[in-house]
Amino acid sequence: MNIAPRYLGRGSWLARRDPRVLVLVSVLFIMAAIQVWDGRIVAALLAVAILYYRSAQIPFRDVRRNWLAALTLVTLVVVLNTLLTGSRLEGVVVHPFFSIPLLGTVVSAESLSYAATQWMRYVGMVTVGFPVAFCVAPSDFGATFARLGVPEKFAIGVDLTFRFLPSLGADYQQTIDAQRIRGYDPMAGRGGPIVRLRRMLPILTPLTVNAIAGAEDTIDAMDLRAFGTGKRTWLRHLRFERADWAIVLFFLGLAVLMTVAGFVSTSSHLWTPQLLIDLAGG
Amino acid sequence: MGPVDEPLVEVDDLTFRYRRATEPAIRNLSLAVSRGEVLLVAGPSGCGKSTLIRAINGLIPHAYPGELSGSVRLEGRLTTELKLRDIARSVGTVLQDPAKQIVGATVEAELAFGPENLGVPRGEIRELVNVVAGEAGIASLLGRETAALSGGERQLLAMAGVLMMRPRLYVVDEPLANLDPLSAAGLLAILRALADRGDAVVIVEHRVEEALELRPDRVLYLDAGVARYQGSVDGFLRIADPREVKLPFDVVLSRARAGGLAAEPEPIDRSPLPSGPPAPVPDGSMEEEPARLEFRAVEASIGDYRILHGVDARLGPREVIAVLGPNGSGKTTAFRTAMHLLPITSGQILVDGADAKGRSTADLATIFGYVFQSPSQMLFARSVREELVFGPRNLGRDPATFELLMANALRRTALDQLEGILDRPPLSLSFGQQKRLALAIALALQPASLILDEPSAGQDHQTAEAFVREVLAIPGLESVYFITHDVDLALTHADRILLFRDGRIVADGPPKEVIVDEARWRACNLTHTTLMQANARWGGRDDRFLDAEALARRIVAAEGAVLDAAEGGSVVDAG
Amino acid sequence: MSSMTMSRSNLWEVSSRTIVYAAIGAALYGVLGLFDFLLPGTGNVSIRPAFGIVTFFGYAFGPIVGLFSGLVGNAITDQLHGYGFTTYWNWSLANGLAGLIAGLAPLYLASWMSGAISRRAIAGAIAGAVGAVIGFLFVFSDIWVGGQSFDAVVTGSYVPVVVADVITAIIVTPILVYAWEPVKEQLGR
Ligand SMILES: Nc1ncnc2c1ncn2[C@@H]1O[C@H](COP(=O)(O)OP(=O)(O)OP(=O)(O)O)[C@@H](O)[C@H]1O
Ligand SMILES: Nc1ncnc2c1ncn2[C@@H]1O[C@H](COP(=O)(O)OP(=O)(O)OP(=O)(O)O)[C@@H](O)[C@H]1O
Ligand SMILES: [Mg+2]
Ligand SMILES: [Mg+2]
Repeated sequence: MNIAPRYLGRGSWLARRDPRVLVLVSVLFIMAAIQVWDGRIVAALLAVAILYYRSAQIPFRDVRRNWLAALTLVTLVVVLNTLLTGSRLEGVVVHPFFSIPLLGTVVSAESLSYAATQWMRYVGMVTVGFPVAFCVAPSDFGATFARLGVPEKFAIGVDLTFRFLPSLGADYQQTIDAQRIRGYDPMAGRGGPIVRLRRMLPILTPLTVNAIAGAEDTIDAMDLRAFGTGKRTWLRHLRFERADWAIVLFFLGLAVLMTVAGFVSTSSHLWTPQLLIDLAGG
Repeated sequence: MGPVDEPLVEVDDLTFRYRRATEPAIRNLSLAVSRGEVLLVAGPSGCGKSTLIRAINGLIPHAYPGELSGSVRLEGRLTTELKLRDIARSVGTVLQDPAKQIVGATVEAELAFGPENLGVPRGEIRELVNVVAGEAGIASLLGRETAALSGGERQLLAMAGVLMMRPRLYVVDEPLANLDPLSAAGLLAILRALADRGDAVVIVEHRVEEALELRPDRVLYLDAGVARYQGSVDGFLRIADPREVKLPFDVVLSRARAGGLAAEPEPIDRSPLPSGPPAPVPDGSMEEEPARLEFRAVEASIGDYRILHGVDARLGPREVIAVLGPNGSGKTTAFRTAMHLLPITSGQILVDGADAKGRSTADLATIFGYVFQSPSQMLFARSVREELVFGPRNLGRDPATFELLMANALRRTALDQLEGILDRPPLSLSFGQQKRLALAIALALQPASLILDEPSAGQDHQTAEAFVREVLAIPGLESVYFITHDVDLALTHADRILLFRDGRIVADGPPKEVIVDEARWRACNLTHTTLMQANARWGGRDDRFLDAEALARRIVAAEGAVLDAAEGGSVVDAG
Repeated sequence: MSSMTMSRSNLWEVSSRTIVYAAIGAALYGVLGLFDFLLPGTGNVSIRPAFGIVTFFGYAFGPIVGLFSGLVGNAITDQLHGYGFTTYWNWSLANGLAGLIAGLAPLYLASWMSGAISRRAIAGAIAGAVGAVIGFLFVFSDIWVGGQSFDAVVTGSYVPVVVADVITAIIVTPILVYAWEPVKEQLGR
């Protein structure tokens, strides 16, 4: 079983950027997005996100399922919010369509536009998130974090994590095989969550214990190569080029703009299309 | 840099006991290694070799708490007073398990790791990477992901990672363990070159016969933590016991001539294997009996890699078959497909003459007991008992029979000698014992045939031999198929050899036939061991390959006979 | 350096040992995290056996290891799912906090963590549960990050995830303690 991260955007314009850019952009975009509730602006932000995403040239067929899963999750959350609580509309005049039996929550023009806005916001965040997942070479994350100013040891931890992923994936497969040979299949059969959880243990336990026991040697090997004893060089050299600056500054600007707008304008207030209000018979 | 005559490392009356151990792992060891010298450390499993290594490279006492007496000096300075960082500059270590030593996600990252930690400038590291990759002969691997490397490639990479530190003393712990003979020779050549260049080497190795190609200056033979011999190679060859260490054949022979061999080992009782059809012969001439396992043009892939390119083989129901081949040639993969652990992309697999398609792994497991290379992979239960009944229970066997099943399985793997074994946590057993338990688990399913993946890997000569002997002696077992890199082990125990190469079987036949084609043999990264040469020269006409002792005995006996005859003759003349 | 009986003083020490354990915990979470199944009756909350890794690593190797395993581990599963680790950063952090709090067990379960292995196993279960209950309070940040309503977070996220993960922690953590301790004894470090 291959759980190694997929470097799908390899070679694309975005993948050639300094990996720090992709991380910063995603962070800045989230900062911008979470301050806006005016659907028109959120839509604009989503458009920006999509343009940005396209520059990553991630082959769609490889990520179709990922998108499906992501959109399902987002939609679920949004629907849940709307149905459960008619969204968060303290002190807003609502124009109701109907109220849901049992729950008694009111579905209104406002709650619908709220849902739509929230949905676009999440999708926007996911959209700028995808390149982080598929356009950064797994072996670059260590250096990336180090150069983003997180503690050195944390950065190396991340580097190591990516190093362990594929080999643990192989061990995982081997462990499953070893148990199947004894007439055991963790994936087969139905059962409640707890039953299925327990069925996982003959895999999870040896995998974990062997990984930890094996770590002893890894620890020795690191000590023996003078790990963590002083200032360290990162072979991977990261340098911001003009394009990198441009992108980061653009999204920084976006974040700042939204913050300011939040104070001086109504961008942080919900916007409801007149059409919906009319439909609701307001 | 001290004066040249000063030893690089000087161990003086060293004794060490691990914190949780009751006995010291090494006792009163003293040794010195100077520039350009090679010290070979040998000894049975558990005798303290790795512990000595840890004491030299400072892991003891810096990483392993315990009770230490005596001293270890590097270029005159006590390791106890040095920081690991400083030791790392002068001592480079290759640990026993290369896979665990590699910390880089890519080959470059791995090579760079050491210098990065020492804060070497980026440019220098880059140059060094290329130089060292050349030295270690892994230039072709640059850019590869470390996780996808084969066992042999990993070993070389681990070595290269240490070369990057440019230490003056190299300590390597069983570097040959999972290398095919050719790759092993390559690694030894690198070490030799280092010594010739003026660096020092301390190498731990079970495969003594091969390690001697390194032309060590001195040998240290450890047993139960004490030095049983320290001195020249010749002296060592004179005292070493061929049962414990794998020695060149001429040494065993001269020992036999001097009457210095221990008593005959009890012969293996191999019933019922030999019974059944007449002496097992290569495929073709046993059509009357369907093969236990048959590959027909089997192809298989892992991810995008095509691994098996059409494997054809018939494994008889009453045969002992050894599978040899280079690292990464598809041996393990082939048997994984047979157990339906990996789907085949084309071809056909037959079991007892019937197409096995659609049969479940569990179902196949009742015919083939499969023992993995690394036993701990399958051990998870809190006690050996739970571990043993796990399989039978999954297969819905009658619980009433479990006690008997366990008793038999434990007796046949000689595990019943450990008292309270049934309640021991499996993972608290020693490596060798875990391997036996893995075998016992397979036997608890009462298979007719056994598949063993590298039963001898990482074990000393004696343990490996014993393991295979025990397996072959298991009553009720019809056939054994085993994968190994130990040529002599394969030749002496197998009725038939399968040679793998690049995902194909390139040779199939009894030992004596398979080795005839020299070019093919070498193409499979195999070498001609002294035992092979000896068998070729003195071995009898029968197909069997004799192990060193048996052959030596036969030769001595023959010589004795000749002598008697000669004397008898002279008497007649006199008359 | 026996981890189970870690003294308060070296709780926060970061050695190569800490880092390697942390990385392994995170990687294990990454590998096993892809395997999960929906908790019946909830939309977006699933039982993740891998969560037991976070609480166990925290409990056995300390708060730093626990934090890293949860934080980076969950981030990695997000990476593998494709969202990127930044999108649901607050959930990753919540996982990390759970591990961290489980790792602080010596501060609130000291008496239980010495003596019979059964006691240490039980302590592990408790620490894991406590970690989940407190750590996941952080998902309420969704009120600001995602503009969700309080009720929605409670009913849609917090309660189900805590239920699922407390169950997981209580079942998995002790079993791993039982499996790991004899091995640790044998390694003797
Ligand atoms: N960390 C440890 N704690 C306690 N005892 C240990 C530890 N490591 C090794 N030992 C014990 O010390 C003895 C020597 O172990 P060591 O690893 O040096 O043997 P070895 O000669 O390297 O064996 P092998 O050839 O199998 O590698 C063994 O009895 C082993 O059980
Ligand atoms: N999970 C995997 N992903 C990709 N390639 C793999 C995987 N497992 C094995 N391979 C490749 O398949 C080939 C055959 O592997 P296999 O384990 O069968 O070799 P082998 O003959 O058993 O070698 P060894 O003697 O080292 O055990 C190797 O080149 C290996 O790199
Ligand atoms: Mg050793
Ligand atoms: Mg193999």
